[in-house]
Amino acid sequence: MQITVNDIQKSYATVQAVQGVSFQIRPGEIFALLGPNGAGKSSIIRMLVGMTRPDSGSISVQHGDEVFDHVPRRYLGYLPEDRGLYIDKSVEKNLRYLAQLHGLSATETEQQLEHWLAVFELTDRRKEELKQLSKGNQQKVQLIAAVIHRPALVILDEPFSGLDPINQEKVVQFLQRLRAEGMTVILSAHQMAMVEKLADHMLLMAKGKAVLAGTLSEIRTQAQPQPEVLIETERALTPAELELWLPDLDWQLTAPQRLTLKLSGSGQLSDCLQRLLPHCPLRAVTMQNPDLHQLYLNAMSQHQQQEPAV
Amino acid sequence: MISKQSITVAKWEFLRFFKWKQQLISYLIMLGVMGAVFAWSYFVDEGRQQYRIAVPAGLAIESTEQFQFQQPTISFAEQLQQLQADETWHAVLEPTSEQVIIHTKAGKKWQQQLQTVLQEYYRQQYAAEQGWTEAQLTKLQQPVRLEMRFLDDNYKGKDRPEKLIALAVLFMLLVGLSTAFGQLLMSITGEKQQRVTEQLYAIVTPQQWIDGKVLGHSLSALKAMFTTTLMMLLGFVVGVLIFANKPLQLDWLNFGVLAWLLPFALLGVVLCATFMAAIAASIDDPNTSGKGAVMMITWLPLLFTYLVIDSPTGWAMTLLSWLPVTSFAAMPVRLAMVELPWWQPALSLLLLVATLYWLRRVTGRIFLRGMQMYGKEPSWGDIMRWALSNKAD
Repeated sequence: MQITVNDIQKSYATVQAVQGVSFQIRPGEIFALLGPNGAGKSSIIRMLVGMTRPDSGSISVQHGDEVFDHVPRRYLGYLPEDRGLYIDKSVEKNLRYLAQLHGLSATETEQQLEHWLAVFELTDRRKEELKQLSKGNQQKVQLIAAVIHRPALVILDEPFSGLDPINQEKVVQFLQRLRAEGMTVILSAHQMAMVEKLADHMLLMAKGKAVLAGTLSEIRTQAQPQPEVLIETERALTPAELELWLPDLDWQLTAPQRLTLKLSGSGQLSDCLQRLLPHCPLRAVTMQNPDLHQLYLNAMSQHQQQEPAV
Repeated sequence: MISKQSITVAKWEFLRFFKWKQQLISYLIMLGVMGAVFAWSYFVDEGRQQYRIAVPAGLAIESTEQFQFQQPTISFAEQLQQLQADETWHAVLEPTSEQVIIHTKAGKKWQQQLQTVLQEYYRQQYAAEQGWTEAQLTKLQQPVRLEMRFLDDNYKGKDRPEKLIALAVLFMLLVGLSTAFGQLLMSITGEKQQRVTEQLYAIVTPQQWIDGKVLGHSLSALKAMFTTTLMMLLGFVVGVLIFANKPLQLDWLNFGVLAWLLPFALLGVVLCATFMAAIAASIDDPNTSGKGAVMMITWLPLLFTYLVIDSPTGWAMTLLSWLPVTSFAAMPVRLAMVELPWWQPALSLLLLVATLYWLRRVTGRIFLRGMQMYGKEPSWGDIMRWALSNKAD
């Protein structure tokens, strides 16, 4: 399933939730929507699901030869941001009901139930009412509800919220399994470490606008155009020495034996090392690759600086 | 018209509130209560006991099954002493020239029956004194026999057993609508509060969803009506056969009328449940919302019909029986009490079906938006705008 979103806008009363956002999701990939609360992620998801329509712009969903303006229900698995199930009913009653609504036969339902309950280690608790389960286990049941009918596209709004690190890791494995089975996955999340492991492409949003988009390395290039190198020396350095040896480079002495260098061109690193080595031996040279979390914070900070003050 | 998903939702909704163990226990309790009422009224029935009444010598009144009139040889004062001291007498009579004083310990229900017996005795005594015959006495009591004759051949008469059926239908509809009211309010607002709505919206269209809900809760309402009828019939049969010790007669049951009552009752419940679902979808919190009371509007057709039940051929009943929002209550009553050509209930039923179809679409539109609103309630203006829009799924 391929999705192309072109310059969509959406407003609610006085709030402009989405402002001219465009992106593309390729078949079988995991696409992440990132951004702080109120960035417009859930608004985009609701438009993809068809709960609301864009005020302007277009959404094109292509599945085989069919083209739609939102994801049709029969191809969709959905974990909403506002989620819940019937807490006074058992795990299996909840899941059976949703599976039947998806049109699964009794045999298919039973097969899928067995499979997913085993994946999430809930087989022994299938007869328990939902309210008897912990928040984390309830979340697992919600995840099963989203995929029990093996949809072509799964949209998960904040799938990691409410889970402990072990269960977050299980959800990562679960999403990798979905991708391996050929499902296209869209997720929105705050947990950057999880997204970094999973997402093939991502869109970083702030205040309804797209801030960064692409693969992790593309985002890294966009968010940090000047790569950084950490140089650790055998002896302590002084700023005066560095002014003398590296007058034309962008450096920062973060500790007496730690020097950070911002690279602005190819060959700059070897030039720097050649100038330093005659004066002091080096202990280590490390390329600084900021994680997604850092990139996210940098991008948000830059975006806030660019936004006109209200 | 009804999709497979709607049937699945209907089944879920019906079974969600159907806990057969609790239902069975509640029916047993209901039967127990009815049995206790019958038993109590049987054991405290003073009409089955015998009472000894002391009368003065010369008062030749014949004893009945209930009252034994005896003329004691002791003095009147001694009779009163016995009345006070023990249970030799239940009453002592003291006739004077103008009145008869009945001395008893305290007021009881049987004393009214004693008064009736005594009045009858003295009436006959007086007639004999005046030299009147029994026929003259009867004529005096009822100088003329009044009889109502109705020129409208279609009018069946207001005291026919069919009126009982009509009243029973109104009562059963009240039972059904009360059931649907409670369950729909709990089901729809509960789903909003448990945040199930977005999950379901991604699977079924709001129209399929609301169709299923209305169908499921209408079935619950019909089940409540059916079981209540069964309980009442059972109570009636037990009362007649065991307590009243009379043969059971069901010849007053008019199956032709009943055949019309059922579709009207069924469609009426579905119509009201559809309206209730639309209102419930616009309620955020049933504890604080004022909109829940609006759902009770569905009871008005029952009340309006009841108020004109004794004028089944009047303009008011005729109007109610044609209006699609009231016909489910009024037409069965009119049918039970007036002979109507077949096309009248048939056309009324058709109008009801058409209205139901239109209301179903309107409810779908309101439901679509109402179920997505959390934290605040739509205004009546919003609801009207949704109802008049053309988007239902």
